[in-house]
Amino acid sequence: MVDFIEGTRRGRRRDAGLAGAVLLVALFFFFLPSGYQRPVRQAVRGTALRPFLAMQAEVIEARDGRVDISELRAERDSLAALVAAQASLAEDNRQLRALLGLKARAGPAFIPADVIRPGIAGGESTFMLDVGRADGVEVGSPVLASGGLLGVVWEVDEHSSYGIDWTHPDFRASAMTADGQAYGIVEPRRGQFREEDLMALVGAPFHSDIRPGTRVVTSGRGGIYPRGIPLGVVVGIEEADTGWRKTYLLRPAVRPAAATHVLVGVRRAAGRGGDLSELWHVGAPPDTVAQPVEADSEADREAR
Amino acid sequence: MNVIASGARAWYFWTLIVFFVLLHFTLHVTVGLGASAPDLLTVSVLVAARRLTGSAAAALGLVLGLLEDSLALDAFGAQAVTLTIIGYLGARSRDLFVGDSLLFVGVYLFIGKWLHDVIYYLLAGSAVRGDAVFRLLVQAPLAALYAAGVGLLALVAYRAVTGER
Repeated sequence: MVDFIEGTRRGRRRDAGLAGAVLLVALFFFFLPSGYQRPVRQAVRGTALRPFLAMQAEVIEARDGRVDISELRAERDSLAALVAAQASLAEDNRQLRALLGLKARAGPAFIPADVIRPGIAGGESTFMLDVGRADGVEVGSPVLASGGLLGVVWEVDEHSSYGIDWTHPDFRASAMTADGQAYGIVEPRRGQFREEDLMALVGAPFHSDIRPGTRVVTSGRGGIYPRGIPLGVVVGIEEADTGWRKTYLLRPAVRPAAATHVLVGVRRAAGRGGDLSELWHVGAPPDTVAQPVEADSEADREAR
Repeated sequence: MNVIASGARAWYFWTLIVFFVLLHFTLHVTVGLGASAPDLLTVSVLVAARRLTGSAAAALGLVLGLLEDSLALDAFGAQAVTLTIIGYLGARSRDLFVGDSLLFVGVYLFIGKWLHDVIYYLLAGSAVRGDAVFRLLVQAPLAALYAAGVGLLALVAYRAVTGER
């Protein structure tokens, strides 16, 4: 296999110089600010990798045809139930708003998508979706599996998008217990393996006593995730920080590795994202602290 | 590029390299096998580096690294830097080791892939799961063994087809 010409000393020095220049180019890309990295990534995906991405849809279809139909049906039924429940809630909401004389407010809508994990180095907590800008997906769109929240979209191409799941070190979600008694931020606690990953509810008030088994859901604050999406169940306390706050460990509602079919939020309510508590029978109390200001309706009332 | 193989042999050889790259992205992206598919991109750089000058191998590593980086949301450029270094070191390894037996190539691929994972771990930081000891002394050797095994199989098939030794 070895087949080469030994270079002269001068030639080798020149070669090392050229290799150094190539390394500088690589380092340039590595240290490029993330805002400039995104267009480069999108350009490469849209050109050199386009054939591979374009063939994904057909492969997914073929793969779906081979998987256990009962398993697939159960997952799709769960997602369909969520969509149906959401549709009825949206209709109720529309009728109630009509009765009160309020204008219709943009609510969350979801489209089904397939999840693909490239399995490349550094991409363990990221995933690809076979829906993109053309389908209404945007940066920040929540991604829901049948059990609860899977993650959020970070980058969007025309017909595909890329997101992080909750095991990503940068994942954060504003959360609360299902009874609305304690609020905090949910962040990941990574284990050696994906199966060992847990969530942590940090910043819960020190006087709170959240029992194991309590459901934790998104609070709807922060404008990314709709309210009421299950995140996990409390399994115990992790730490109590200097008498000011507590951190609880959660067993996640969704294992990212098992999620293959998901729903992607394509239209969020103005500034907040709506309430999806009823979809999972969470029964979270209304958010009395952060009620949305109905600018339109106030104006309407004044006009009347 | 400092390739002196005969035209036909060079053609076969570069077909093998392109095959590695296409298969890598087909398995990881199109089929979505994820981590269960071997890292053929590193294998292709290591194999090609034995026939290229240091700068050409580094350039090949840069291009292939950028392709893979475009699929990751984290640590963009880390794979490009890693494969650039691996390519150069692979080419320069000819100064120290000359051989083309299957045992030698297997060890070369194993060490090259392991070194790749070490450099990538240092560059990517939190994008890589697990503590350093577990990652570099348990996971990386297993991944290196897997990649070297698949690379060797492909080379055996290549030699059988081309008659090259």
